[in-house]
Amino acid sequence: MAAPVNVQTPSKTWELSLYELHRSPQEAIVDGTEVAVSPRSLHSELMCPICLDMLKNTMTTKECLHRFCSDCIVTALRSGNKECPTCRKKLVSRRSLRRDSNFDALISKIYPSRDEYEAHQRTVLERLNRLHNKEALSSSIEEGLRQQARYRNHRVKKPTQESDNTTFSGGEDNGDSRSHLSHDSAPSNTPHPRGQTPPEAGPSRKRQRASDDGSGPEADSGSPTPPLRRHKEGPASEIELVFRPHPQLVHANDYNQTRFVKTTANATVDHLSKYLALRIALEERRTEAQTENRGKEEGGAEGEGESGGTSRSGDGSSLNNVSEKQYTIYITTRGGQFSTLNGSLTLELVNEKYWKVRKPLELYYAPTKEQPQPQATQQQKSPPPQDG
Amino acid sequence: MASQNLDPAAAAASSAAALKGSESGSSATKGSVTKRLQQELMTLMMSGDKGISAFPESDNLFKWVGTIDGAQGTVYEGLRYRLSLDFPAGYPYQAPRVKFVTACFHPNVDEQGFICLDILKEKWSALYDVRSILLSVQSLLGEPNNDSPLNTAAAELWANQDAFRAHLHATFQK
Repeated sequence: MAAPVNVQTPSKTWELSLYELHRSPQEAIVDGTEVAVSPRSLHSELMCPICLDMLKNTMTTKECLHRFCSDCIVTALRSGNKECPTCRKKLVSRRSLRRDSNFDALISKIYPSRDEYEAHQRTVLERLNRLHNKEALSSSIEEGLRQQARYRNHRVKKPTQESDNTTFSGGEDNGDSRSHLSHDSAPSNTPHPRGQTPPEAGPSRKRQRASDDGSGPEADSGSPTPPLRRHKEGPASEIELVFRPHPQLVHANDYNQTRFVKTTANATVDHLSKYLALRIALEERRTEAQTENRGKEEGGAEGEGESGGTSRSGDGSSLNNVSEKQYTIYITTRGGQFSTLNGSLTLELVNEKYWKVRKPLELYYAPTKEQPQPQATQQQKSPPPQDG
Repeated sequence: MASQNLDPAAAAASSAAALKGSESGSSATKGSVTKRLQQELMTLMMSGDKGISAFPESDNLFKWVGTIDGAQGTVYEGLRYRLSLDFPAGYPYQAPRVKFVTACFHPNVDEQGFICLDILKEKWSALYDVRSILLSVQSLLGEPNNDSPLNTAAAELWANQDAFRAHLHATFQK
C-alpha cells in the first residue's frame, strides 16, 4: 500500500484511521507456525452484525469493506437508510456491494459442517431460553399459588379432614385417581401469562409424567406437574406411606392433615422430616397474606441449586431454614406405643423392621421438642426423597 | 422447546396477544427476529454491563423491560429508571419503540416517557441493539440536546445544575 507516502504528505486527503496510522505490519507466516484464535474473536470475525449469526452468502460493501449476509444487507438497504449499517457510508444500492466468495470459502473451511454449527447454536439458545423462561415460570407459580390459596380457603371450611395426596417420587404408576401432586412447587398448568403454555417451564420436571397426569387444573388444588424431580430412578423400589400428626403431641387444629406420600424406598426418615417441614412452612406461608416473592419457594422445592434468576432474590429465608430437625417422626409399635425413628434410617428399613405388613406404612409426626436453632447454612435445600 | 418463540406461526393461535404490536411478516422473518433477540439476550446476560440491564417482560421475547442507572457525575446519579422496549417484526431493520416507564424529568423526554433520540428514529441502524440503545439513553441523560427539547421547562432549568438536581430528586418517583 502507499500508506506511508500518504502519512508523510498531509496535503493528500486520504483519511486513515488511528488504527491504520499506527498499526505495524504483520509478518506473513511461511513455516508451520500455528496461531490460536479464541472462538470468541473468531465468532466476531465471522459474524454478521445484523443477524448476529454466522455470515451466509457474504456481501462486502465496496467502499468501506464491511461484511453482511446477503439477505441481511439487502433487507437493510430496502428498509431504510441507504447507508452502511456499520459506518453510515453512503450505499446507493446493491451495486455498492460485491459478493465475497472468498470469505464464504473461508467460513466453510473453518466450519465444514455448518449444520452442525447451527445445531449447536440452537441448543445454546434453547438453554438460554429455558433460563429466560424460569422467569416466566416463577410468575406462573405465583399465579398458581394464588389460585390454590383461594381454593384452599374453600376446603378448610369443610368439616371433614381432607387428605392431601402427595407424591414426590418418580413413580409412573399412581393408583389413586386424585391428583398425586404436591401443591406447592408445581409450575402449574394454570393460567399462564399470555396464554402460552410454558413448555420450557422447569425442564427438569416435565421430564416425568408430563402426560400421565390425569388431573386437570381443577383436580385437587390445581397445579399439576410433579415437583421435586430427578430423573432416572426406576419405579422399582417405592414406598407408600400414610403420614399423620401425632395424636398426642399435636393439637387437633394444627396441620391436621393426613398426608399420603409415595417416595423411593431409599429415602431416609430425615428426608421425610425435612420434606414435611418444608410443606408445613409453605402451607403456613400460604395461609398468611399471599404476597409476592414466591420465587424462592420454587427454588426450595426444586432444589436444583441454580443460583440465577433475578426473581428468586426474594425473601424465602424461612424456607431456607427448614430443617429435618424440626419434626420428629414416630411409628406405632405393637401395643400402641409410639417410638421415635432415627433420622438416618431409610424408609425401606423402617418398613422391614417395624411394619412388615403389606399395606402402606403409617407414620406419625410432631414438632421436635426442643427445637434447635435453624442452621444458617442449610446445605441441602431440597426436600429430599430423590435418589436417596 | 422454544417453539413459541422460534416459530411464532405455529404458536400463532395461543400467542396472538403476545405478538400484538408487531407488524405482520412471514414466519421466517419472525423466526430470525426471535433468533436475534435471543442472541442479544445472551450477550447481555454474559456481559454484565454496570448501570444497565434488560430482560424480556414475560415469555414474549418482543417486549422487554430495561433499567438504566443515572451515570456517575451527572445529576441523575443515584436514580434508577425503568424503560419498556417494544420490538417490531421488522427489527432490527426498524427501531424498537423505547419509552421511559419511570417518569423522567429530562429535556428530551416528554411526559408520556417518549424519548427524542435520533438513533431511535431516522438515525437507526440495524447494528444497534438493546445494549447500545440503553447506553445511548443513559448518556443522553447526562448530555441532553437542549436545542430540540420535548420538555422545555427541563431544558430551561438545565443551565442551573443545582436547581435541576434539586427538582429532579424532589420529584423522582419510582
